[in-house]
Amino acid sequence: MKILVVLRMIPDSAGELELTSDGRGIDREWLDFQLNDFDDHALEEAILLKEAAGATVVAVAIGEGSNRVLQMAVARGADEAIALEAEGDGMIDSRAIAGSIVALARSKAADLVLCGVQSTEDLFGQLVPYAGALLSWPHVSGSSRLGADGSALRVTQERGGGIAATYEIALPAVIGVQTASKAPRYVSGSKLREASKTAIGKAPSEPAGFERSAEIVALRLPGQRGTGENLGDNPENVAERLANILAAKGFAGV
Amino acid sequence: MTSETPVLWIVTLAAVALTAWRSRRYIAALAQAPGASRFDQPWRRLEGVAIAIGLHRKMLRKPLSGILHALIFVSFFVLFTVTIEAFGSRLFPGFSLAPIGGDSWIALLQDLFAVLMLAGLGLAVYQRYVLKPARFRGSSGSDAAIIYVLILLIVSSLLVEAGARIVGGADGSWRPVASLIADLLRALSVPARPTERIAYWIHIGAILAFLIYIPGSKHRHMFLAAPNIYFRNLEPVGTAPAVPPERETPGVASLAQFDWKQQLDLLSCTECGRCQAVCPAYASGLPLSPKMLITDMRDALANDASTPLVGGVIAEETLWACTTCRACIEACPVEIEHLPKIIDMRRHLVDEGRVSPMLQDALTNLTRLGNSMGKPSKMRARWTKELGFPVKDARSEPVDVLWFVGDYASYDPRVQDVTRKVAELFTAAGVDFGILFDAERNSGNDVRRAGEEGLFETLAQSNIDAIRACTFNRIVTTDPHSLNALKNDYRHFGGAFEVLHYTALLAELVAAGRLDIAPADGATVTYHDPCYLGRYNGGFDAPRDLIRAAGYTLHDMARCRENSFCCGAGGGRIWQSDDGVKERPSENRIREALGLGVGTFVVACPKDKVMYTAATDALGVASSLRILDVAELINLREAPSA
Repeated sequence: MKILVVLRMIPDSAGELELTSDGRGIDREWLDFQLNDFDDHALEEAILLKEAAGATVVAVAIGEGSNRVLQMAVARGADEAIALEAEGDGMIDSRAIAGSIVALARSKAADLVLCGVQSTEDLFGQLVPYAGALLSWPHVSGSSRLGADGSALRVTQERGGGIAATYEIALPAVIGVQTASKAPRYVSGSKLREASKTAIGKAPSEPAGFERSAEIVALRLPGQRGTGENLGDNPENVAERLANILAAKGFAGV
Repeated sequence: MTSETPVLWIVTLAAVALTAWRSRRYIAALAQAPGASRFDQPWRRLEGVAIAIGLHRKMLRKPLSGILHALIFVSFFVLFTVTIEAFGSRLFPGFSLAPIGGDSWIALLQDLFAVLMLAGLGLAVYQRYVLKPARFRGSSGSDAAIIYVLILLIVSSLLVEAGARIVGGADGSWRPVASLIADLLRALSVPARPTERIAYWIHIGAILAFLIYIPGSKHRHMFLAAPNIYFRNLEPVGTAPAVPPERETPGVASLAQFDWKQQLDLLSCTECGRCQAVCPAYASGLPLSPKMLITDMRDALANDASTPLVGGVIAEETLWACTTCRACIEACPVEIEHLPKIIDMRRHLVDEGRVSPMLQDALTNLTRLGNSMGKPSKMRARWTKELGFPVKDARSEPVDVLWFVGDYASYDPRVQDVTRKVAELFTAAGVDFGILFDAERNSGNDVRRAGEEGLFETLAQSNIDAIRACTFNRIVTTDPHSLNALKNDYRHFGGAFEVLHYTALLAELVAAGRLDIAPADGATVTYHDPCYLGRYNGGFDAPRDLIRAAGYTLHDMARCRENSFCCGAGGGRIWQSDDGVKERPSENRIREALGLGVGTFVVACPKDKVMYTAATDALGVASSLRILDVAELINLREAPSA
């Protein structure tokens, strides 16, 4: 089995987000980037599948800091690392990158494409259906467990009310991973240093062939709308004001 | 007498052979162990042995144990002349110590020291069975009891033998004690000759039994304590063990991977439990006793068991419980090095990805951002914004002092005020200083001691590169942990810098009259020695000088200086959960301070500020015991001008 796993770099939400001057994007110049959490789980699931049933794992990363994350993927057990060239340095648009992912899945003869079910820049999880549609492969999103079963794949998907449905899906397929069967493993610094010698391949950006559709016209930072109160950022003042508010509302006897 | 010669030869040789056979596993293990370079500086090594054994320096830190051990130890050497005579006279007929005083002054010494040996033995029995110190918990009780019986047999038999000889007509004028026994034997009308022979063979039998018994007993230390002290670590104690280049992975997964000195440590343990008595992890109820760590590995070495070392012989929770405070090594009379073993086994766990979720988060943050809190690098120097003056960027202009601020002092809101106070004091004293801003990374001190060698190397290299790109004369650190890494660990990565703690720099400035201090009214305070400033780097006096210079009276806690009690944060413990902790080390320490009746608990480490503030809050005593950094004690007559 050959697994292509997609790793997207997203702005670190611990940093201070600022908008670009045209108000249509996030100013990425001073931001730290980190691997999308769901993609981290997709990588872990790919490695777990490799360990359980044998597979070749190709990791493809998009965005600033890709090389670092690809080295981490290799240290964790990926066999090949590819940095996908992105157009511009804006947010990672699933509609735009789906074409490149599909081209790679074909050129690498992948049987399975894994990616995180969503990212902060694709809250509706569109990458999986886009890629599935372009490849004409079946796709399932929101997996919490994958198991290889011959030429088929068993996919467990969490439903509401704690119900878990298990599908059997024929390969090739595209899966949106919500959580891996096990929490992503820790990879030691010495393994990372060893992996830093790995050659990282490059792949060009490929058009998805979709017609131009919606465009962002405005982006807004989270703001105050009268329903909440910003307590400031001085911890001592925050604690005192919070205590006073709780006391005033009758939650605590201060 | 001649008929006894072949018999004695046979039993002696058989006993020696049996002893060698009983030692075979240890000898094989040491012979096959990887090498360790512990052969340099012979005179310094010998000097250490002379102080440790000749003067019983560490032994006497516990007076009763020290004195009783000294009695037994010295008596053993004197009574060894009896053993030489007992074996020599029968193995080599005609051999006698008489020509050099065997019947006069040596006889007198033997008589007196036989009594002193019994006195030492009596004290040992009193200590072990009446006083029952907690440090003996987990030590083998039967081992000690067997030795007491053998010593009693050896000493009493030699006195009875000498007494019987006097009854048989020998001169008793040099043997006052044996003469008393002779009187007793006469009163009992015991036949002289048979009594002498029976006592002789009891003596011989007990000595050979002792010899045979030793390989399986903690009394190996009679032979191994001196070599173990001789081959002790002479490197700076703050340097963590380097990973030998021949090792394929950074850690140690089996006993055979430990070098011969680490294995010799296991065999030298006397089970005295001094390490256990000072261990903060043990005191807090965590499953780590430094003594049992050593004895469990020692027993595994003897049994050749197939149980895996890490996670088997030594549980993972045991390894993660250690704060790397070094109190155990400091307390050990035979210089056993517990920490290198723990660090090497942690390295194995980390390499296999066997880390707790909290530790994984911290290490992942450190990998990604260079700090354990998960804060962006850009926010590292944000504390400077609230200063009334700009702080130089050492990356862009030369400075005299390069200030390595450290994670907690930079990011933790509970410590930032202290950091600003230090900056103000430096400025007031006219120190030309600068910082690395977002180029600084966690020093990696605790990363390394948590077993994450690869990440430590990455952090160290990044800091060394950043530091090298600056022009400066000296480095000062806020955090004792950073101090230790920069001073002791970075040497192995090409970073040899002059590094000092901010308390040392402040003490220097005070001594030079560069700080115009308005002294306080002499109120009494206590001071906590941080492990990595004190025990690791000898920084005991500068903080105390500062406390006095600030106008306070210092009342030290009983556990101070080398004997300081860890706050519980070190070695990566601050990134672990408190699961299984019955009493946090920090709370144990605060209770100790409360007993002194002082109102202020002075610290000199950002982590201590965090740990002890949390501890006084948890104990509900924050209003009666203030946690202040030593810098916060110093009030200047005039506020620094911008």
